[in-house]
Amino acid sequence: MNTQNKYVHRSDFVRVFLRSFLIQASWSFERMQSLGFAYALQPVLKRLYPDTEEYRSRLNRHMEYFNTQPYLASFILGAVAHAEEDRAAGLGGASDASSMKNALMAPLGALGDSFFWGGLKPLVSVIGVTALLIGAWWAPLLFLLPYNIGHLWLRAGALVWGYRSAGDVVALMAHYPFMRMARRFKATCLAVLGGMLGMAPQWRPEFKTALHVPGVVTAFSGLVITVVLAAALRKGGSPVKLMLGLAAVSLALAFAGVGL
Amino acid sequence: MPVFDLHTLIVVIAVAFGGGIVGLDRTAVGQLMLSQPIVVGPLTGWFLGDATAGMIVGAALELLWVLDMPVGTFVPADATIGAIAGTAIAVLGSGGRAGLDLVGFGILLTAGMVPLTMIVDGVVRKRNSRLVDEALSSTGENADHKLTCAHLKGLTFFFLKSFLLHLIFIPAGLLAVLLFTRMSAPFHDAMELFVKLLPLLGAAVVARKLSIETLDRFFLFGFILAAVMALLFHAPAGIIVLSVIAAGYFSALYRERHT
Repeated sequence: MNTQNKYVHRSDFVRVFLRSFLIQASWSFERMQSLGFAYALQPVLKRLYPDTEEYRSRLNRHMEYFNTQPYLASFILGAVAHAEEDRAAGLGGASDASSMKNALMAPLGALGDSFFWGGLKPLVSVIGVTALLIGAWWAPLLFLLPYNIGHLWLRAGALVWGYRSAGDVVALMAHYPFMRMARRFKATCLAVLGGMLGMAPQWRPEFKTALHVPGVVTAFSGLVITVVLAAALRKGGSPVKLMLGLAAVSLALAFAGVGL
Repeated sequence: MPVFDLHTLIVVIAVAFGGGIVGLDRTAVGQLMLSQPIVVGPLTGWFLGDATAGMIVGAALELLWVLDMPVGTFVPADATIGAIAGTAIAVLGSGGRAGLDLVGFGILLTAGMVPLTMIVDGVVRKRNSRLVDEALSSTGENADHKLTCAHLKGLTFFFLKSFLLHLIFIPAGLLAVLLFTRMSAPFHDAMELFVKLLPLLGAAVVARKLSIETLDRFFLFGFILAAVMALLFHAPAGIIVLSVIAAGYFSALYRERHT
């Protein structure tokens, strides 16, 4: 065992961070992000284990099954870098890093899925679509900028937090209240979605009805149709089925001579 | 209008190549959301000379698929291919400036593409399992180089998946456009109406997935606030959006503290 103290350099962390963007490059059903995790950790392992045999053995060890939310994988990468550093200095057992990965990937996966996929992304998406509907050509930027500023900041911060806290997920959650923010984002998203429909009279002409009706009628009929569609989805309809259903209804109305 | 001339062929290949590159963002590289319909729709439209068509496709498809989350082994619908192919079919099929009917038809075709994209994505991900075995079986001095190669090979598979699907979907869609242009006027009117209804379907999908109530109180609150500001006070759209965001967020805070 290596008893000499070795430390991961800042440049190694930069490389790990950049490689973490490719963690899903070889995503598979069987091992999911396993290869990506080993790939991202390579700079750290190379630094800590100059002995080729040991390096290869650690690399193979990190090719075990791994799956988490890709952004928060950086927290686990930081935590595992810490564990490997301890191991290289003779302070930890061979299984420390593996058991840490196994313990962290599921809770961080659930946390990240709820916050990023279920909170932040739909919120900025609904804001962006609302901007598009009212005719803002820069709406894609309104979607991309807040999302990426937020997510890149958290992604980089999580790597540092993972390393400094040695994988203390409670410290991470105390610093970044993911669950609370996810709930707020979801509520805000629903409010903006309602607002999008309330603004229907101001939508681009392509999305507006050709009928000359008061704005209040346009807005309320939009709300009613949306609620009916949501109820249909609740009864087991899928977006694809409802798309086809809407096309069929549109066709029926067009053949009946009802121009909307 | 000649749909399959050399120029169109080159443009289709260029769009498919761009789609393959930007499609990597979905799973394989970064997840910077460059592959979302709201981004790739307008970009494709702009590249083909009709950004408006791309914006309409992007706005219509974004909400439909935004909450189709890649959780566990679930492979979400590839809305990127839908947005790019839908826009390209509408713009190329119209010869430059797509009418609303053709945009609607392009979007409708994406309903047929979605299940196929999921199947092919599943095949690629199954194929990727071999890459781990490839990396594990490598011995000797080059073990870590082989790991890198095996891992990055996954990028090629993901790229080829999107590239080839675009190469199939766009020409097939252009053939369908040839039939569509021969259809009677009600078909064209129907597609215009279809486009107008799609944002409502998108809103229903998001509302359904984010709330267990059919008429969520935040949703209703946002609707009333925006409608009052727009219809009674004739407030500018930007002010309404900002007000609804702030009101929604602070209402959520209020609920947190009082429940």
